[in-house]
Amino acid sequence: MAVTDASAVSGPPTGSVRFTGSDREFWRIAVHGAALLMITLGLYRFWFATDIRRFLWANTEIGGQSLEYSGTALELLRGFLVAIAIILPIYTVFFITVIDLGVYGTLLTIAAVLILVFLSQYGIYLARRYRLTRTVFRGLRFHQAGSAVHYSICAVWWWGWTVLTLGFAYPYTRAALERFKMRNTYFGDLQGRFEATGSHLFVRGFLMWLAVLIPGLITLFSLASINWSRVTAAARGGGDVLGRIERVSPGFSDNIVLALSTGFVCLVLIALLLPAFHALVMRWWISGIRFGEITAVSHLRTRDVYIAYLRFIGWLLVFAIGILVAIFFAFVFIGFLFDGGQSQASEIVIVVMMVGFYVVSALGLTTLYQTIVMLSVWRLTADTIELTGDKIAIARVKAAGDASSPLGEGIADVLNLGGI
Amino acid sequence: MTENAARSVRSVYFDGITSALHEVMVACTPSGVQIRNPDDSLIVEWPYERLKHLNAPDHIFRIGLRKSDKLERLEIDDQDIARVIDLGCPDIDRSGASARAERRRAIGWSFAAAVSLLLVAFYGIPQIADRLAPVLPQAIEQRLGNAADIQVRAMFDKGPKTRPFECGGAPVEAEGKKAFDKLMASLEKGGAVNIPIRAIVVRREEPNAVTLPGGHIYVFQGLLEKASDVDEVAGVIAHELGHAANRDGVRTLVQAAGLSLVFGSLLGDFVGGGAVVFAAESLLKSAYSRHKESAADDFAVHTMQALNANPRSLGSFLARIAGSSNRGSIFLGHPATPDRVARINAITTPQSGGATLLDAAEWKALKRICASYP
Repeated sequence: MAVTDASAVSGPPTGSVRFTGSDREFWRIAVHGAALLMITLGLYRFWFATDIRRFLWANTEIGGQSLEYSGTALELLRGFLVAIAIILPIYTVFFITVIDLGVYGTLLTIAAVLILVFLSQYGIYLARRYRLTRTVFRGLRFHQAGSAVHYSICAVWWWGWTVLTLGFAYPYTRAALERFKMRNTYFGDLQGRFEATGSHLFVRGFLMWLAVLIPGLITLFSLASINWSRVTAAARGGGDVLGRIERVSPGFSDNIVLALSTGFVCLVLIALLLPAFHALVMRWWISGIRFGEITAVSHLRTRDVYIAYLRFIGWLLVFAIGILVAIFFAFVFIGFLFDGGQSQASEIVIVVMMVGFYVVSALGLTTLYQTIVMLSVWRLTADTIELTGDKIAIARVKAAGDASSPLGEGIADVLNLGGI
Repeated sequence: MTENAARSVRSVYFDGITSALHEVMVACTPSGVQIRNPDDSLIVEWPYERLKHLNAPDHIFRIGLRKSDKLERLEIDDQDIARVIDLGCPDIDRSGASARAERRRAIGWSFAAAVSLLLVAFYGIPQIADRLAPVLPQAIEQRLGNAADIQVRAMFDKGPKTRPFECGGAPVEAEGKKAFDKLMASLEKGGAVNIPIRAIVVRREEPNAVTLPGGHIYVFQGLLEKASDVDEVAGVIAHELGHAANRDGVRTLVQAAGLSLVFGSLLGDFVGGGAVVFAAESLLKSAYSRHKESAADDFAVHTMQALNANPRSLGSFLARIAGSSNRGSIFLGHPATPDRVARINAITTPQSGGATLLDAAEWKALKRICASYP
């Protein structure tokens, strides 16, 4: 097993992260997967997630060497079954206790929700551990240390603040949690860390936050100033409904108009700022990642992310037109099939068709998002990463860490939090 | 494996101990893959039967070793050598044919699992509920009923605060209350109901009656007003008694729990799956419910027959309240009224009924059980 020193070539040339995957191949995986998800009522998700990861990992090259995803769909399935076996009894016990306690059961339900919130963060951390230990690079695997219980407490605490402050604490939440995750992330024996600060993200995102928050708050306040119980009472019966409402709740129409217009402005601003926010957070996150001496800097351009979103919207319009045409022909066909007569058969056909169209639309929407926005941003992000640091260091990492269980993926899946 | 065997190509090797990249020469021998240093000294030979093909970009053939505690990797971009290794190693199939076959099996089984879960939801869950409902302790149902009772009262009692929700409390209503209790007593006896029933008449205009878990039965004032004789009222109450005797409240609960298990956590976990879950759950719940309604109708018919009352009154009363235009639907929680009437008529013969349950004076009193508030 002797390897001569002469053949040990040192690390990657700097600034060489690349994404080499083809759009066509990803389209194939995504469309194929979406169709099979539909047929198997979602049971295909383990294979689908594995396919997507294999594609993304294999085509991401760092310093000329591509990543390898070594997880399998059967592992995910096993993790899901184990998680079901753990969570199901908990559900059952709660179900029975709630029945047994009658009114007090309601209080217990709140406790159950809290436990589920913690459990979901616990699952998210374990799932990250699984994904890292199935990521192989240069013959070594990544791994993740740290206690998932500790992480779930931190995450609930920080996300709690984010919700309470209407997003003000978001940058600090992200920074704190990324610090936790990255200092527990290892490539072999090389420890990672996260050096971007919450304030950095806060300063850059503050105006965006404010721009969305102000119209949002005005919407909420104008809706809250209406006396809803009186309005609903006055709305009953015919005649001059608006006049009656205006009498019991003065300024009703003004408030509604204000709420609608500011709500609309808020939504438009969210849509306009989302790509910029996406790019900002991505740049901030990548530029904070460190492994030993190696530092990453992201040069992701906001403009390119906007282009990705515009392409998404364009395809979305094409898709929507396609769906509308299909619905039109489906109704013509049904009208032809069940001429006038309303029967159970026609009812079943119509229900199946409506659900089918909904599912196709929803899956189509996500497939378009995955294949255009997600893949583009992944590609753009990878291609604009600049790595600096000791070239030799990357070649001197020693193997460490073991493959972890897929249980966390299962927990996240059972709680409907599964992701790529 | 003749000309290629002698050939060796440059490749990239990671030994799985450190991350160092080694440029090596790879050659195929009859028994395995030889990895050599550029100076031709042998690093290691991997036997074909231990090789595994790994996730890599299309232009790279990446292999590793099975049953190894390290993640040593060999990356070959020479297609000829890759083909030789592919042919030599039984477990490697670069064409992907065996992977596709395996995938097809996985898809097939997933599909079968989805179908089987749907069948369980359609046939299995009602059966489980049928077996489970009678053996669940009465105490649980009582507590459940008491909780539901509080909610339902709050929901249904929309009158002024001074108006009692329950009829029969005021002195003018006492005779009516006596008649109602007598009617309930004979119906319970006729139906051989062996669980405690708490039936009351409440001030609601709709011609309806509801049953909650734990034997709570609410007969709406509107029902008494619309009825033209006592058998019509008795038929509807007997139907509600059927729900109570069959313990349909618990049954519904068990069914809902089963459905939420099958659809909430096992199936439908994909984007857009929510609609499938919702549609399937509503359709199944309606189907379960129609089944329970028919069972309660049967119970009512048998009870009325046992009391020598007219068992067809329920059907004719239903038809009068609902109107004949009522169509069936896969989303309705009860069968279409004409179907119910036809079913009731099919299993009964007309009987005169009438005075067997209450006499004319008692019936008149019952009609005035809510008289204290006009």
